[in-house]
Amino acid sequence: MNFRPRIERIGSSVLDGVDASLDLWRVLTATLFGVFRGRRPKGEVVHQMYQVGNRSLLFVGVTLGFIGMVMIYQTCLQVNRITGDLSQVGGEFAKILVHDFGPTLTAMMLATRVGAGIAAEIGSMKVTEQIDALRMTGVAPIEYLIVPRFLACLSMTLVLAVFGACIAYAAGGLTAYASFGVNPRVFFNPSKIEYVDLILGVTKCVAYGMAIPIISGFCGLRARGSSEGVGWATTAAVIGSSFAVILLDVIISAMGFLFQTGGM
Amino acid sequence: MVGERFLENIGASAMSTAREIGGIGVLCGRVMRSLIPPSMDARELVRNMYKMGNMSLPIIVMTAFFTGGLMVIQSGIFVKRFNATGIVGWGTGYAVFREIGPILIALMFSGRVGANNTAELGTMTVTEQLDGLRALSINPIKYLIVPRVVSMVLCLFMLTVIGDLVAIGGGMLFSKLILDVEFSTFYWSLVQNIHIADLTHGLVKSAVFGAAIALTSCHFGISVRGGAVGVGRAVNAAVVAAAVSIMLLDFFLTYLTA
Repeated sequence: MNFRPRIERIGSSVLDGVDASLDLWRVLTATLFGVFRGRRPKGEVVHQMYQVGNRSLLFVGVTLGFIGMVMIYQTCLQVNRITGDLSQVGGEFAKILVHDFGPTLTAMMLATRVGAGIAAEIGSMKVTEQIDALRMTGVAPIEYLIVPRFLACLSMTLVLAVFGACIAYAAGGLTAYASFGVNPRVFFNPSKIEYVDLILGVTKCVAYGMAIPIISGFCGLRARGSSEGVGWATTAAVIGSSFAVILLDVIISAMGFLFQTGGM
Repeated sequence: MVGERFLENIGASAMSTAREIGGIGVLCGRVMRSLIPPSMDARELVRNMYKMGNMSLPIIVMTAFFTGGLMVIQSGIFVKRFNATGIVGWGTGYAVFREIGPILIALMFSGRVGANNTAELGTMTVTEQLDGLRALSINPIKYLIVPRVVSMVLCLFMLTVIGDLVAIGGGMLFSKLILDVEFSTFYWSLVQNIHIADLTHGLVKSAVFGAAIALTSCHFGISVRGGAVGVGRAVNAAVVAAAVSIMLLDFFLTYLTA
């Protein structure tokens, strides 16, 4: 048996992985550095905030609204089967929306919409050699292209998560009223939300808002070839940023849980 | 006038949405019609299933594993407070089988396979390979689209079965690690409270999501205009459309089959 090609394949994929992680680290540090250096094209951050925020409003509203309805429907169905006391559903839903589902589901949606958008845009610039042209005129592409998107995503993820959670909560309340006859006054009950939930939710928003543009920008900058390369880069950006959202969610939730039970 | 432009924008976006929905509907009809006597390129089907199923197994397995863990962590506070270790398996299983499993796996599938499919078909379109096929009197719908649609539906269904199992495994592991719930407690709580209907409810959803992802991604792939920039834009539009249709279909299927 000839093991050599197999070992070579494993070795080359390991080398590729190491190379990619180094690149990702370089993009991350350069972006963070660029945030504080502050040499940005004028108005670019506001423009990107419009692109990321305003143009995702409808998308986030529709998806989070429907998911809120479905979640409440399923939960009420199950609670009806067991205890039949639907008065606690609204309060618990508010709590879980604040500390987990609001930020995470919004970020999953943004990872597909914004992540794919950033990678497609930067990838197209890369394959049409506009990035090289930038470099030739002495402009750092990361500072010029990724830093504004990074700042825009960071702020807009928080805003959109609040918006999405409100929509999901309202849609859930409507479903509970329409399908199960739960009084909205009983449903809209924020008393279960604690400071810990708010802190966890905001931490998640910040983490997702940083991860999505960095990973997508990195994927865009690695695009090679022509239209096929742009397609690959966009796919990689969607996968990478969605998976990063899930992974960060697990890490932050586990830390929050251990912190809460350790302090109790 | 600001108001006029605003109205114009609304009208334009409504028109383009209607155009895309119509295109997806027409494509759906064509695929259906060529499926009636089920004739397709078997080699193309197997190749696509390998590429879409086997190659996306690692990412789906990892997503499902962490999803199971996530559900356990979220229920952890209640379990600790009321010492209700008996409900962990039931809660995790219910959430994973009915909602979170099919949705998250479909979203990852749409990112991995749907986006890739759009990019591939888009590249073929901008390099005029579809016209080449037509010139050789090969029907591109039959040759390219139908195998992809069929294999996406089958692959997402099977990946959801695997993903559900892995998510339960992940939930078990996390509940042992952070909540100190024994495997057997978790298992019996799951087995005694979950009906087979919960599982099939999720699996029916996943098959429908597969069809939706396939149709949106193929539609945006074959209607690409304008080179590399167009391909990137099409992939972006395809994943957005797939996400919206997953959420909408989830809502309607929940109401219909609950």
